[in-house]
Amino acid sequence: MPSPRFPIPQGTLDMLILQILSLEPAHGYGIAQRLEQISRSVVQVNQGSLYPALHRLQQKGWLRAGWKQSETGREAKFYSLTPAGRRQLAVEKDSWARLSSAVNLIFEEGSQ
Amino acid sequence: MMRLFNWFRRGSLERGLARELQYHFDRRVVDLTTTGIPEAEARRRVAVELGLAQVREEVRDVWLTRWLRDFLYDLRYSARSLRHSPGFTAAVLMSLALGIGATTAIYSLVDQVILHALPVREPERLVLVDWNGDDLITGDIGSSNLMPYPICRELQQQTRFLDGVLCRAEIQVNLTAGGDPRPVAAEIVSGSYFAVLGVGPALGRVIEPEDDAAPGAGPVVVLSYDFWQAQFGAAADIVGRKVLIGNHPMTVVGVAAAGFRGIDVGFVPAFWIPTSIYADANLGTDEDLLHDNTRWLQILARLRPGVSAAQAQAGLLPWFRPWLEDSTRRAGFPVITAEKRHLYLASSLILIPAPQGHSPLRRSLSQPLWMLFAATGVLLGLACLNVASLFLARGSARVREIGTRLALGASRGRIGRQLLADSLLLAVAGGVLGAAVAPLVIRSLITFLPHDLAATDLHGTLSLRLLTFAFFASVTAGLLSGLAPALQAGGESLVSSLRERGGTGFGGVRLRKAIVTLQVAFSLILLIGAALFLRTLTGLLAKGPGFETTSLLSFAIAPLENGYSRADASRLVRHLDEQVRALPVARSSAVARFALLTGGHWTNVVTMQTDRRSVTDGYINFNAVSPGFFSTLGVRLLAGRDFDQRDIRPAGEIGPRSAIVNEAFVKRYLAGRDPLGVLIARGGGASNVTPNSRIVGVVADISYRGVRDSSEQVFFPLFENDDTGATFYIKVRGAPEQAIPSIRRLVRQDDPRLPILWFRTLDDQVDRSLTTERMLAALSASFGALALLLSLVGLYGVMSFVVTRRTREIGIRLALGATRASALRLVLRDAVTMIAAGVALALPCVAALGKLVQSQLFGVTATDPATIAAAAMVLAAGALSAAFMPAWRASNVSPTDALRLE
Repeated sequence: MPSPRFPIPQGTLDMLILQILSLEPAHGYGIAQRLEQISRSVVQVNQGSLYPALHRLQQKGWLRAGWKQSETGREAKFYSLTPAGRRQLAVEKDSWARLSSAVNLIFEEGSQ
Repeated sequence: MMRLFNWFRRGSLERGLARELQYHFDRRVVDLTTTGIPEAEARRRVAVELGLAQVREEVRDVWLTRWLRDFLYDLRYSARSLRHSPGFTAAVLMSLALGIGATTAIYSLVDQVILHALPVREPERLVLVDWNGDDLITGDIGSSNLMPYPICRELQQQTRFLDGVLCRAEIQVNLTAGGDPRPVAAEIVSGSYFAVLGVGPALGRVIEPEDDAAPGAGPVVVLSYDFWQAQFGAAADIVGRKVLIGNHPMTVVGVAAAGFRGIDVGFVPAFWIPTSIYADANLGTDEDLLHDNTRWLQILARLRPGVSAAQAQAGLLPWFRPWLEDSTRRAGFPVITAEKRHLYLASSLILIPAPQGHSPLRRSLSQPLWMLFAATGVLLGLACLNVASLFLARGSARVREIGTRLALGASRGRIGRQLLADSLLLAVAGGVLGAAVAPLVIRSLITFLPHDLAATDLHGTLSLRLLTFAFFASVTAGLLSGLAPALQAGGESLVSSLRERGGTGFGGVRLRKAIVTLQVAFSLILLIGAALFLRTLTGLLAKGPGFETTSLLSFAIAPLENGYSRADASRLVRHLDEQVRALPVARSSAVARFALLTGGHWTNVVTMQTDRRSVTDGYINFNAVSPGFFSTLGVRLLAGRDFDQRDIRPAGEIGPRSAIVNEAFVKRYLAGRDPLGVLIARGGGASNVTPNSRIVGVVADISYRGVRDSSEQVFFPLFENDDTGATFYIKVRGAPEQAIPSIRRLVRQDDPRLPILWFRTLDDQVDRSLTTERMLAALSASFGALALLLSLVGLYGVMSFVVTRRTREIGIRLALGATRASALRLVLRDAVTMIAAGVALALPCVAALGKLVQSQLFGVTATDPATIAAAAMVLAAGALSAAFMPAWRASNVSPTDALRLE
């Protein structure tokens, strides 16, 4: 392992799932792979914790799910974003941006 | 809620999740094998990576929170295990259904009569305006909290504190709407009535201020929705129709909103008319009711938002004081002493919160209902105790099961929760049963209440409030009855419970004995209550009204309400009286101005002239009767004579010449002197009262308003022009009912349009006047019997259990030479201890509760030793016989069998 992977910060998994699904609908395994790729193996996502998160987001009405044929020809459960989910993603992105810029500001302040 | 729905489709959810995870698993395995990892190794790695069992649990937690899921599993387990013991389940369900059903039924009445707010706009801002102080009012019409009309008018100007003022009175009028006239209950109301209450029309319009602007302004009628439906078949063209009230034509202008039934739960009017036409409603008075100080209406006001009753009450004083001052200068104000005048001027208005409106029924029933409610609470407590003890018995049979579960790692809390689920499930099921029987119980309760011409607004349907109540009662009952067993299960020592042999577990015997002791105490309290109310009822029935009721019939007419003039009405009554007396079926008959035992009254103080002038310190009940009244009712004449021709008032003379007083009056006011010849007069204080009625006779005491009262009474002769409304009393030969057709014929001959207000045998009248007492006696007796039954079952259960547990010990004793009698004694001693402890516990409670019920009793005190002793005897006898059966079994144990049990 070139660099040690650190565990995903609490609460950001939901945001990442929403972000991935905002591009196109995907099934659970697909989301796991995308997570691996996008984060370039920097972030460690416990594959198991993906499913409780998906079901939770579905229960909140941010995702909808349906069985469709996957790229391998087998039926898989595909998740896609609902309008409410899209709004939620915007909210989370916004608050993330504000949080990270605030943290950056504090770091810069400290380094001066 | 959505999540709860997940519980019911958890099968398909599980299948979906399994498929979804399988897909992931398979894809991952394929991906790994393509990188060269052997399939077996790949499978192992993916299984570790995913943590399938963990994932499933976590996803299930998303579907349904953990505790809820556990609870639902508990419930399912409970339902299954209860299905396996139907006897136990039935016993518990019965106890709880009885307890909850009875409590819910009584609560329904409490709610409807006492608590329920009027279905009007913001009822919490309504207040009743009443007079506080010496009002100098002499002789009032009808009900309670009465006020004069002018105050209502002027209060309406007090807009700083009040958002509107209404006044209303209950009346009875004869209504003709195509057909014969019939007596109907109605409400006469100010023009502000509907506006202040915020009640609108369902059709046409309601009564408006213009209808009430001047005397006679609005000859209009607004029908109640129910009356419109029932009597006019919900005719769409009702508005504009002419009806006769008495013999005055009036126009129906509208129908009030559905669901509005007036402001008195005990009096539902058929229609409303404005106060401006009071003269046409014939209230039996010649006074100018719209201008003088006769008190005849109740006043309700709506507080301004943010103004409290106390603030408004204080705020009205600066207006009311000058008003009082002013009223003393008005024409017709009685001449009074300086002292009286001072008292009068110190009067104030009080505002009483009245979100439930005004109801004499509420006042008379409040106390009995709260008492019954408390009794059902005790009954429900008893049922809970019974269930708890049944659970304990069952728990002791399950000691090994529970011990095993504990040993396998179940937490004590978890097991306690399982037991609570058992009791909650049973309690809610019992509650459903109870709520199902409650409407029947409520309906039969309502039949106990007095009925009159006006219907009451009480009904036996289940409302949301009632269901909520039943639900909370059930859950509380479930928690209470499950708590003891649950704690017991939690506290049991693991090792000892596993070591014990099945069926002989200690099973909280001490706890169960404590429960039975409590049950004995509770049921003794209810039994004593039942005995007290039964003695009250039998005492009242034995006392009777003081006159012979058998073969006595009464009927009443109100010719003034049908438009008769006073002279014509008087002539009619006289004529009818003669004709009734001439009927072959009548032995004798007489006429009285006020009907007895109906709760109505005519009272005032009396001024007496003996060697000095004095005024009675209390109100005296009056009646005016025709000659022969006392002999018809079989009332003994103790001194002097009955009224006769000599008492006829010569033309031009005012006031009665003579009077007859009762024994109680003589005892209280004329003790030690010859009452005959004393001059008296109605009223007192004012100097214009001249005692000029000579006492010519003394009669034995008879009841006036109800069987309970034995008040001081004065009778005056019924004169021409005084006898405009009358109740006839007829002593008949044979059954009273047989005389009804011939009397009806007589009245019809004289005036076919004159309705007879009622026909009642005096037996029936006595019964009616005792409805509350009857209700208390019947209900408390049935509660007492139920309580006794429940506690006997409890005692029997515990004793059986104790005996089973001690079988071996008793066997050894018998083998060692103990007699059967001593074995019997051994077991019974236990029972006697419990019973004695229960009785000892109950007695102080009875002493404390006695004060609360005393006012409802008659001829017996709440702590009457004989009654308490009798109730305790009944309880002890029943309890001992319940304990005797298991004891007898114990004494018949064969020593060899008992020892072989080991």
